[in-house]
Amino acid sequence: MSRRYPILAGVLRRRRRGLAIWAVALASVCGMYTSLFPYMSGMDIEAMTASLPQGMMEALGYDDISTAAGYVGSATYGLVALALLLVFAIGGGAATIAGPEERGELELELTSPLPRSAIYGQRLAALWIQITVLVAVVFAVTFTLNLLQELGIPQGDMVAATVQLWLLIGFFGSVSLALGAALGRRAGALGGAAALAVLSWMFNALGPLIGLDWLAMISPIGWYMDTNPMTRGFHGADALLLVVASGLTLAGGWWRFARRDLMT
Amino acid sequence: MIAIRELVKDYGPFRALHGVDLEVARGEAFGFIGPNGAGKSTAIRCLLDLLRPTSGSVEVLGTRDLAKHPAVRARIGYLPGELVMAGKQTARDHLTYLRELRGGAGSGRMEALAERFGLDLDRPFRGLSKGNKQKVGVVQAFMHEPELLILDEPTSGLDPLLQQEFLSLAREAREAGATLFISSHILSELEAVARRVAIIRAGRIVDVEDVAILRERAGQHLSLTFDAPLSAAAIDAFSAMPELEGLVISENALTAVLHGSPDRVLKEAARSTVTAWSAHDRNLEELFMERYREPDAADHDGRRR
Ligand SMILES: Nc1ncnc2c1ncn2[C@@H]1O[C@H](COP(=O)(O)OP(=O)(O)OP(=O)(O)O)[C@@H](O)[C@H]1O
Ligand SMILES: [Mg+2]
Repeated sequence: MSRRYPILAGVLRRRRRGLAIWAVALASVCGMYTSLFPYMSGMDIEAMTASLPQGMMEALGYDDISTAAGYVGSATYGLVALALLLVFAIGGGAATIAGPEERGELELELTSPLPRSAIYGQRLAALWIQITVLVAVVFAVTFTLNLLQELGIPQGDMVAATVQLWLLIGFFGSVSLALGAALGRRAGALGGAAALAVLSWMFNALGPLIGLDWLAMISPIGWYMDTNPMTRGFHGADALLLVVASGLTLAGGWWRFARRDLMT
Repeated sequence: MIAIRELVKDYGPFRALHGVDLEVARGEAFGFIGPNGAGKSTAIRCLLDLLRPTSGSVEVLGTRDLAKHPAVRARIGYLPGELVMAGKQTARDHLTYLRELRGGAGSGRMEALAERFGLDLDRPFRGLSKGNKQKVGVVQAFMHEPELLILDEPTSGLDPLLQQEFLSLAREAREAGATLFISSHILSELEAVARRVAIIRAGRIVDVEDVAILRERAGQHLSLTFDAPLSAAAIDAFSAMPELEGLVISENALTAVLHGSPDRVLKEAARSTVTAWSAHDRNLEELFMERYREPDAADHDGRRR
């Protein structure tokens, strides 16, 4: 692979240690949250959350938190895994082109015989591969605990949630990478992608609360989970929106990267 | 090999290059001299397609559009002005990676060059001294035996011994037929390799000249001591000689910068009794400093080629 795709191979080689640490951390946190469910269901969650207004409960996905699928969907897939993976994807996206370019480390790669398209394409592939590995880790941990603890979450729903999580995280990674490639500035990439993620979360969680349901419909996080990613099954249209949004962002980033001054 | 025509480059509202014209022939060793901020690195980055010209064009190895033909860069060795590499990896990791980007060229020479410059390949880049980092840059630029070497201040950070080693490496490359384009602040350091130099100041080429002609133009420091104060007639005779610049006569001593033949000066001096004399080549730097300082050198000289 290092012959045909030397940049991809090089980036993965350099990131493998960091990726391994992320995988372990993600597996531990997700494993911990998911395995807490049997204890949670022992307590009277309904009573604990009864004081919350119904709208708020729905927004937070707590309305069916007493079921295993509801709990894993809101706590693991809807919160900790989502947040950690977003941090990884946005940070990793900015560190794919903008970070090393800004530090000056990319100068010899950018003046190598490879075209800018290879640099953009192979670095993008490296990011998606890393995201795929981490999403697979989340899936593997949840899948295993589902069997071990007999949570009874339908496997089809779990696969659907995972695929949609993967597309969502890939989308935010792509936004961060594309912004960084367009601007050549790490802070711009991080800031832009993080702002989009926060807005997107707020639109999905709070839009319906204030009677503006359409806010959730334009939110990428809404396309992923609606109210609960683990119980909604596969939504082709929403998945397609994520794919198209990623494609458009990446095309825009490439358009600028191909034309602008590098290393300035 | 290199043709830069009417190259203009703006950074936002700031114009870094105001229409640079340069031509470097195959097999030539060309120096590119100028003070800090003159635009050397900017021009070089345009050559490599890191920067896109605001207007004008650059042609390298027969290609006008490196974006379309990036593979041409396999035949170029480039040493950046400020080399930065990720700190955790060793020099060997970086060089191996660059070799892969270049399709495997340069395997054989990496070790030999590192040894020649006394570079330890197995230490993390972060821990290397400035000079050692520069050595990594030199090794990667030369290791694939490129046809064209574009070197941005190659000797910065190298001690005098290694500067000599670098210069002999550059001469070997030239003898093997490579074309060299070397930027520097210091003219005299390029004298050993370059035949021709361009002088750039504030984004404009002030002069393009053979090093030998510059050397002649620089002249010699001349000083003569006589056994007695010079006569008024002798003073008038010396003062009228155009080849003497900055003539100072005090009592029985004469100093000046001599350009061209010393014949008339010696004949006039021989009318008196000369008790001591000296003449030595003026440092090219001194001439160079004059050029830098002359505020309107570009207007006087035009943009000669
Ligand atoms: N990225 C940038 N943004 C804005 N201005 C820049 C940028 N890079 C260079 N400049 C300006 O362009 C001019 C030329 O800079 P350049 O780096 O080409 O000079 P140089 O001749 O290589 O100098 P040095 O000898 O210090 O390396 C300088 O005035 C510099 O401040
Ligand atoms: Mg420079």
